[in-house]
Amino acid sequence: MFGKGLATGLEITLKELFTPKVTIQYPEERAPLPARFHGRFTLDKEACIACGLCQNACPNRVINCVRTKVDKKNVLTGYHMDIQYCLFCGLCVEACPKGALRFSQDFEMACYHRENVPLVLLAEGDRPACDVSAAGGKEVKAGD
Amino acid sequence: MITGTDLRDRLEHDIKTDRYVLNMGPQHPATHGVFRVVLTLDGEVIVNAEAVCGYLHRGIEKLAEARTYTQVIPYTDRMDYLAAMLNNLGYVQTLEKMMGVEVPERAEYIRVICAELTRIASHLISVGTYSIEIGGITGFFYCLRDREKILDLIEMISGSRMTVSYMRVGGVSEDLPAEFLPQVKKLMKELPAAFDEYDGLITGNEIFQARTKFVGVLNPETAINYSASGPMLRASGVNWDLRKARPYSVYDRFDFEVPLGRNGDCFDRFRMRILEMRQSVRIIEQALEGLPEGPFMGKAPKVIKPPVGEMYHEIEGARGILGYYLVSDGSPKPYRMHVRRPSFINLGLLSELCRGWKLADVVAILGSVDIVLGEVDC
Repeated sequence: MFGKGLATGLEITLKELFTPKVTIQYPEERAPLPARFHGRFTLDKEACIACGLCQNACPNRVINCVRTKVDKKNVLTGYHMDIQYCLFCGLCVEACPKGALRFSQDFEMACYHRENVPLVLLAEGDRPACDVSAAGGKEVKAGD
Repeated sequence: MITGTDLRDRLEHDIKTDRYVLNMGPQHPATHGVFRVVLTLDGEVIVNAEAVCGYLHRGIEKLAEARTYTQVIPYTDRMDYLAAMLNNLGYVQTLEKMMGVEVPERAEYIRVICAELTRIASHLISVGTYSIEIGGITGFFYCLRDREKILDLIEMISGSRMTVSYMRVGGVSEDLPAEFLPQVKKLMKELPAAFDEYDGLITGNEIFQARTKFVGVLNPETAINYSASGPMLRASGVNWDLRKARPYSVYDRFDFEVPLGRNGDCFDRFRMRILEMRQSVRIIEQALEGLPEGPFMGKAPKVIKPPVGEMYHEIEGARGILGYYLVSDGSPKPYRMHVRRPSFINLGLLSELCRGWKLADVVAILGSVDIVLGEVDC
């Protein structure tokens, strides 16, 4: 009978009217994020050994980690990410041997000005250990 | 003297309209992205349909040459972005074949679960958007509602919803989280009822059937000649599913059927996808039951350096046969990568399918081919 299919469809939509709503009213309501969510990066500056593995793992050369050599030991003095080129693939986080680089749950990264986009996890001069360079430490670029 | 019969004869055979060219796209909602079709029309009838692609070309094959083998994995996500897990799977399996890396049982099962979940998610978009293209907006929301649940699960595993980069050479990047198993089992119970809903809303709809049945018929010979694959080929009644025909991973252990179409029309191509989703649910349920304990990552070298040589490997992607061809010169970066993208090859049939049909059928035919522009242009 013609129209039977239409009636079946309407019956389904009518049923849906009485089921609970699935739409989440963002930003008032927020969906729970899984633990592994790939959000903005965080860096544990104390745990980082400035090995530069994250920098080498990145497919897009997003990461620039600035290292200073003090007594044959690398010290991290700067950590920048050109986050606009980031694929959020997680290869850097996976490469970190100390678990210093991690994803956070923050996904709201939109901003008004382009110069605010790059993510500075450690600015040069931020670190008290930075005075090591004054003590004769030579700055080396990771990957060289 | 001209009789009535003569006049009708003349109108039908002698009097013709001028052919004209109509441009459809690149900004057309029914083309699923940036894709252009140049249509040559005789009145309302399609004489020729020329597909113009390349608007989304990013040169992924070339980009791969400047990256290490592992770094290419995130780029494979961005080809068929609706089925990223399947793209990952094809790529890592090619490398594993090249290097002879053993993959642990658990990893194989996790891969199958992820691949089939992605196949369902991808087909849901296909089914939903096809419903829109025929003029029924409602069906789309039902499909997306359920796709959302699958994406939540994929996000739980990999941290990303679509561009997952989850698989690695030798296994997967992380084990399944503890909360995943109960949720996926629950979803697998719910999905068959949801498929019934789509059947009621879309498949059974008389208007939908009138627009799609016996439209854009593809006979099996033409499909094979154009090397079509996936649901497109099977809708024409050709039984060729790599999961059955040449099982890779652990697909030979699961009991499932390969749905086949009868007429090779738009309706069959659409129907294939719903039937395949039902089979995917069966596969996932079996894989969950047989999921072994053990490591999720095999013994793969840290720096991936395949031996000098070349390798071609293909899997059954969501849209057809997805093949990866890799050439290694012994360095940690691929010398050449080529991807056999099913959407691109299926799209070659567009002109053949459209010819002789009316302008209004173009969208119905194009939708039934189910292209993803990220994959067409690569």
